[in-house]
Amino acid sequence: MMVIRLYEGNSQLNDDTVMDVVIDIQNIRKSYLLGDMEVPILHGINLLVKKGEFVAIMGPSGSGKSTLMNMIGCLDRPTDGNVMLMGKDTRSISDNDLAELRGFEIGFVFQNFNLIPRLSAYENVLLPTYSNSKVNLDNEERARDLLETVGLGDRLDHKPTELSGGQRQRVAIARSLINDPSLILADEPTGNLDTKTSTEVMDIFSSLHKGGCTIVMITHDPEMEKYADRVVHIRDGYIENN
Amino acid sequence: MIDIRQAFSLALGSIGSAKMRSALTMLGIIIGVAAVVANVSIGVSFNQFFTDELDTLGSNFIIIYSQDVNIFYDSELELIRNTPGVEGASAFNQQMAEVSYLSGTKQIDVQGVSSDAQQISNLEVEVGNFFTDKDKYTAVLGQEVADGKFDQEVAVKNYLDITFRRQDGTTVTQKFRVKGILTGEDNAFVSGGPDRDATIYIPVATINELLNVTDYGGFSANTEDSESVQAVSDEIDKRLARQLGVSARDLDNADAKPYRIFNQAEIIERLDQLADSLTILITIIATVALLVGSIGIMNIMLVTVAERTREIGLLKSLGYTRKDILILFMLESVILGIIGGILGALIGLVGSFIVETYIDIPRVFPLSLIFLGIAISFVVGLVAGIYPASRAAKLDPVEALRHG
Ligand SMILES: Nc1ncnc2c1ncn2[C@@H]1O[C@H](COP(=O)(O)OP(=O)(O)OP(=O)(O)O)[C@@H](O)[C@H]1O
Ligand SMILES: [Mg+2]
Repeated sequence: MMVIRLYEGNSQLNDDTVMDVVIDIQNIRKSYLLGDMEVPILHGINLLVKKGEFVAIMGPSGSGKSTLMNMIGCLDRPTDGNVMLMGKDTRSISDNDLAELRGFEIGFVFQNFNLIPRLSAYENVLLPTYSNSKVNLDNEERARDLLETVGLGDRLDHKPTELSGGQRQRVAIARSLINDPSLILADEPTGNLDTKTSTEVMDIFSSLHKGGCTIVMITHDPEMEKYADRVVHIRDGYIENN
Repeated sequence: MIDIRQAFSLALGSIGSAKMRSALTMLGIIIGVAAVVANVSIGVSFNQFFTDELDTLGSNFIIIYSQDVNIFYDSELELIRNTPGVEGASAFNQQMAEVSYLSGTKQIDVQGVSSDAQQISNLEVEVGNFFTDKDKYTAVLGQEVADGKFDQEVAVKNYLDITFRRQDGTTVTQKFRVKGILTGEDNAFVSGGPDRDATIYIPVATINELLNVTDYGGFSANTEDSESVQAVSDEIDKRLARQLGVSARDLDNADAKPYRIFNQAEIIERLDQLADSLTILITIIATVALLVGSIGIMNIMLVTVAERTREIGLLKSLGYTRKDILILFMLESVILGIIGGILGALIGLVGSFIVETYIDIPRVFPLSLIFLGIAISFVVGLVAGIYPASRAAKLDPVEALRHG
């Protein structure tokens, strides 16, 4: 029997909070094929993140945090289950439209920064707009403003190699914000940084959070828990508490 | 959809970040395009050169000659003159004779021709006039005879003594009055025939009288228009053969005839055949070079894609679609090709100019060759880019990001 509903929402939700849900993960499983063997990594995960929340995901190495993050960011599709983003069922969205969704609605921040070495800080920040550009935003002005905000107003023309690790990560954060996304996904953003620069970077996330940004961040460092509204613990592909 | 201007600058930036490698990659296509452009340009120039040369030899001419004596007489000249389509005809006889001017004596090629030869062979007179059929002991000198052979320059109205050898071994000397001097020519090495600059022309009746003969070495004739040259030439051939008693079944066998006949159209046709086989050769060389060039580009693009796997993963995470990635890498490949093509076309241009200057032929360079070079390299870049770019586009973003 097929029941068609406008919003196939999480049972925990009241209808009036639907619009405030950014991530609604429903019982997703992910397994990889190793030869003929199917190796399950995520075993039925449910997760709900509301607008403006700052959620930290913690867990031992290999527990499936990055795998989960890739599902949320639509870089990969779950073997089973459903990922709803901003109320959209991603199962029914084509790869092309998923790319567009990533471009407009999701900002990624990686552990290893992933800046393009040939491009200046300013060009790296503008990079997402070459493919997906919001008509109501002045990209170039916004790129300068964002770099200013993360404290790199005087480093616009520097290449990544001419910047410190902390500065590189701040460029990456500016890049993730260029299209004014609904969601920031950060996978161990301070993993390659020392304590002092980690704090600087976390302060930026903190102020973004205060400004209303929705953030999901993977971290190994219990120190970082204090910045988050909520911590989700993952172990062996299961969520321990929610 | 990626902004094409930004894609262009991204692709250029990537090429620019590895200049040496990009340059080496382009080598194949540079050489290929340069070879095509230079060869075509030199071919066109040669064509121009031959055409110019043929024009100086005469227009719409037909030459008939024999290695044997006592074949051609006035009756054959009349036969040629009366063949429909013939505009003018001249008999000729030739001897290397001893020519004396003042105290100097030289061996010079003396050609006996009729006055028709002037327009048949395009003999341009610079000073004085060509002789008429009424003139008898009158000579027209090639430029070099007039101002290079003797210690003093020979001028119009001067007299030369020419000594001929007869068949019976006796010699005869006759004084000739110089009536005209021909315009000098560029070095005419294709003509293969007599060097006009070093020739003295006298009336053919005079040379026959002095040599005490009545036969001719051959004839030259021309037609009014270039289209009819071949047909008229064939008709003359047929009539001559019949007159000289060549059997009917040998009419198509040149070896059975006591003479040779050729015309301007045949020479042009033979040159065209030469040009055609040259074109085939060039095409083979170019194909090989361009194949090597495209393999070079494809190879470097595959290396680039492998090196930038993580970058491709990043672009996908930033919202770039497969098509965006495809465009980005295709652009890079095409730009590599086109830069190589432009460089190749320029090198081909310079190279062909140097060669053309060196062997002294007209420097003709059709500008369309540059576009041809660029078009070829565009196609090469496009074809070479398809596989690497589609590989890049198909990369799984998660795998790509995990890479390296
Ligand atoms: N493409 C793949 N094929 C097979 N197994 C994979 C693949 N990708 C990830 N895995 C496995 O899935 C498990 C979870 O990996 P994941 O990267 O999500 O861990 P993580 O929690 O992010 O660890 P870390 O803290 O070290 O980053 C690991 O055991 C890993 O080996
Ligand atoms: Mg991880």
